[in-house]
Amino acid sequence: MSSEYSITYKAENHYENWVHDAHWQFLIIPEQNNTQEFVSVDFKNSLGAINEYSINGYGFRTIRIQPRKKFKEISFEANFRLLKKEVNPFDFELGEEIVKSYQKIQELDFKVDFEPFLRKTHYTTLPEKDSTIFQFDTEKSIFENLKALNHWTFIHIYFKTGVTDVHTTLHEIIDNRHGVCQDFSHLFCALARQNGIPARYVSGYLHQGNGYFGDSQMHAWAEAYVPNIGWVGFDPTNDLLANTDHIKVAHGKDYADCSPLRGVVYSKGKNTTSHAVQVLQQQQ
Amino acid sequence: MGKIENRIFSSYERNPILYDEIYDKNGDIKNVYQKLFDLYGGHSIRDYVKLNTKAKSSFFNQGITFQVYDEKESQEKIFPFDLFPRIIDQDEWDVIERGAIQRSKALNLFLWDVYHDKKIIKDGVVPMELISSSANYLDQMIGIDPPGGIYNHISGTDVIKHNDGKYYVLEDNIRCPSGVSYVICNRTALKRALFGVFNHYRTYSVTNYAENLLDLLETTKPKGVDTPNCVVITPGMYNSAFYEHSYLAKTMGVELVEGRDLFVENDFVYMKTIGGPLKVDIIYRRIDDAFIDPLEFRPDSALGVPGLFAAYKKGNVTLANAPGTGVADDKAVYTYMPQIIKYYLDEEPILNNVHTYHCSRPDELKYVLEHIPELVIKPVDEAGGYGISIGNRLTKEEIETIKKQVKENPRKYVAQPIMSLSVHPTYIDDSESFEQRHVDLRTFTVLGKDKEFVLKGGLTRVALKKGNLIVNSSQGGGSKDTWVLKE
Amino acid sequence: MLARVANNLFWMGRYIERSEHIARYMNVNYFSSLDAPNARSQDRQFVLRSMLFMVGDPVHDDSTVLEEEKVLYKIGLNPEFPFSIINNVKYARENANSARDLISTELYESINKFYHFVLNYPVETFVKNGLYDFTVNVAEMTAILRGKIRGTLLHDSVYAIILMGVNIERATQIIRIINTKYNDALEAQGSYGDKFSNSFEWTTLLKCAESYDMMRRLYKKTPTSISTLEFLILNPNCPRSVMNSLNQVHKHIKQLDQSTKYNKNSTAFLVGKVRSEYEFKHIEEIEGNIQAFIDQILKSLTEISQKMDKEFFNY
Repeated sequence: MSSEYSITYKAENHYENWVHDAHWQFLIIPEQNNTQEFVSVDFKNSLGAINEYSINGYGFRTIRIQPRKKFKEISFEANFRLLKKEVNPFDFELGEEIVKSYQKIQELDFKVDFEPFLRKTHYTTLPEKDSTIFQFDTEKSIFENLKALNHWTFIHIYFKTGVTDVHTTLHEIIDNRHGVCQDFSHLFCALARQNGIPARYVSGYLHQGNGYFGDSQMHAWAEAYVPNIGWVGFDPTNDLLANTDHIKVAHGKDYADCSPLRGVVYSKGKNTTSHAVQVLQQQQ
Repeated sequence: MGKIENRIFSSYERNPILYDEIYDKNGDIKNVYQKLFDLYGGHSIRDYVKLNTKAKSSFFNQGITFQVYDEKESQEKIFPFDLFPRIIDQDEWDVIERGAIQRSKALNLFLWDVYHDKKIIKDGVVPMELISSSANYLDQMIGIDPPGGIYNHISGTDVIKHNDGKYYVLEDNIRCPSGVSYVICNRTALKRALFGVFNHYRTYSVTNYAENLLDLLETTKPKGVDTPNCVVITPGMYNSAFYEHSYLAKTMGVELVEGRDLFVENDFVYMKTIGGPLKVDIIYRRIDDAFIDPLEFRPDSALGVPGLFAAYKKGNVTLANAPGTGVADDKAVYTYMPQIIKYYLDEEPILNNVHTYHCSRPDELKYVLEHIPELVIKPVDEAGGYGISIGNRLTKEEIETIKKQVKENPRKYVAQPIMSLSVHPTYIDDSESFEQRHVDLRTFTVLGKDKEFVLKGGLTRVALKKGNLIVNSSQGGGSKDTWVLKE
Repeated sequence: MLARVANNLFWMGRYIERSEHIARYMNVNYFSSLDAPNARSQDRQFVLRSMLFMVGDPVHDDSTVLEEEKVLYKIGLNPEFPFSIINNVKYARENANSARDLISTELYESINKFYHFVLNYPVETFVKNGLYDFTVNVAEMTAILRGKIRGTLLHDSVYAIILMGVNIERATQIIRIINTKYNDALEAQGSYGDKFSNSFEWTTLLKCAESYDMMRRLYKKTPTSISTLEFLILNPNCPRSVMNSLNQVHKHIKQLDQSTKYNKNSTAFLVGKVRSEYEFKHIEEIEGNIQAFIDQILKSLTEISQKMDKEFFNY
């Protein structure tokens, strides 16, 4: 069975003074993968500038816009429709041979192949004092440990908006113990990597019909690579495995690789920006 | 040899410990320099000073200058230039040329590998840290096949001659190596001042660089393009290398553009001309990776072109050098060059590498800390001669400071034995006479698809401060015309 | 050619030309006033005011007493004063710098020498006794530059753009000079007949435009208001006349815009229109209302410049 989702993304920018030159790049189109099938994409901007569909440096679809006239405000609206296959997060053989999989992650080839997702980045560097804050129990399988880490992160951080922003690093998050989905995901990735498991930050949409945290903005979760199984999605903000309600847009080493909107605007003075996201589901 | 009174060199003091490029072991003038020595010797130092002044003003009037910014205003200065050329004979040059090509090719294969299968790391030849802890490794380049298979179209290999008389490579510059315009200007200036001396030597021309560069860049044009449109992109006229950028554009016969002259539409790059947009296929870029596309890299960059990387990734435009080449010119990679050459080419290195101690390895760190006075300590990720400490020049306190810095951050440092750069007679303004000064040589290698070119000459850089070993222009270096002799 | 670089070349041409006119204006006014036939024309305050008026910085208060050295410094070498010669030369070189790959080495070298000459000219010497030397050198160096432009550049679009700048600027400066001298002539009138028409200032005006000798050859009479204006505005054979400049502008815009299609919005169309308007004007029409004519032609020249900007420099 599959569900059809309809996603609306809106952004509005107001500038105090005329803007003569501006470029934006949106990274908001859901990824095509074996659980996500695209139905349609519709993108509009209030200035009628051409929407150029392209691929960014990490291989994800983007929309680029450069208005060729001066303006003081611009708004964008995207509508995506896609079919999401029913995902059973546990739908794999847990025939993980515990000892072998821990050996696997120690192999050089493995480390080289997954190098970017094992790297400590700006957002996923643990403070020295916290490097052993979560250690894997090698008696248990990697998957079990990741589930435990997911739960641990969920418990350790208190979901609270407005206390962190896109610049917050793990140091503050671990000490203050609150944050939003980005912060949960960064901490999860950092600790998975600390234990030798490749982990990537995922940006996407969350269908909130079931009362999950994720606010009305874009959502973030993580994927970890489990030997012999593959990439598995973990949502530490909600203590869940990623499922049908998680609609993936892009992944990267951390938020910096996935920020939904990048812009270069040549203007002086103040500006205000607002974003809104809505995800609707139609059962089929 | 008959004793001719040589007026100009009569006061030349020769330190026998140093390797002097124009004298042999017995203290006689080397054959290749004899004629030059006699010709210059026929002048008085007064004549020489006059010529020198003339050459300087010619540089000044041609605007071959760089800006020095101090608190009050910017000043224009010329690069100090010495009228006594350096000569490299055919046999010696042959080694340098083959060595430079070998290194450039090996580095190109290395770059392909680290952005694709990473075999060299999996085979344990070089450590993973070369990419994982390199600030210049660009994840966005993973899996991209650059047009023509070339990453480092242009390489600047810095070589020196040690007091054993052998050439050693000091570093490979494969981001945006600069200096080639000075090679050509030096030649022009020397010809203007002392054209007569060229009658006595058969010297290779250096003016063919730009045409070869354009030819070879064109071999790496994007697929589906017949006659590629090539441009040079510069950060702008306030950049210290702007003269070189404009010189290259002019002699290649292509447009010199700034980021604001280009735009990307549907993943193709265009330039804004008086007749409307014109597609651009090859960009020789003199802007660092981080600044080429604000939508992909540093968002505060006003120098680059939004969307450029997407166009590159699609294969619609060639960037020379490719983004991400910086990973291979880190000093850490340098230390593995012999292994890298062997791994990809199955050849022995033609040019020597200076032995390098990695402070990241505990036993080598121990050695370094104990032998600082005999070593040069270099930060792994600085260019332009910054942050280099030369052990035998340091005071006790300075040694302690360095030790502390290295201990705190061993990964950041490598150390090498102090190389004794060869010296060359150089005219010194203050003493109005010729003195020994240390020199190195920057060579310029261009790689194209199945073709390569090495500029027969290169930039001989002179450390003008007495005893100084650092030749970079930003550190008060000058330069000399460099003659490669035909047989 | 890049639109941005074309814009720079256009302005390089304008700044070179502008610095020459300012220099010559200073020179001619200062030195011809020394032995001028009447007290007003000889008056130093009068001359200094005239110079400031010409560069667009008029002194309105009659009671202000100007200091000669300060005024000379301001117009000649003051880097803080945007219309000074030194700034014009700086801008010319900066524009040349950005287009270095398109112009000849010879032209660049000459601009560069020019720049270093002005930059290094000692201020003390200039304001005390260097005015003649400095301004003559500036005028001569600009003549060399024009020679290098003509003689070392390919006569293609680069050349056309530069000469568009040179000629639009020349027409503008000649008009500005006429405007200034017209005002001076109102003040310093002649001593016989129609005093305005016979003012000594008309001779000075011709000298400012390096056109005195040629004018004498053609008219063989002491210049009057009408003969001077006719010569400097309408005579197509006078290389400094507005008509001549418009003809040049027209010729070069044709080089840039080779479309044969009729396009009433193009710069070429506008230039052609303005040019033919003056081609068939006679001096009596102008003489009746000189001020209105001056305002009109300045407006036309600005329009041409703006149109060029839109069509060629601003993709």
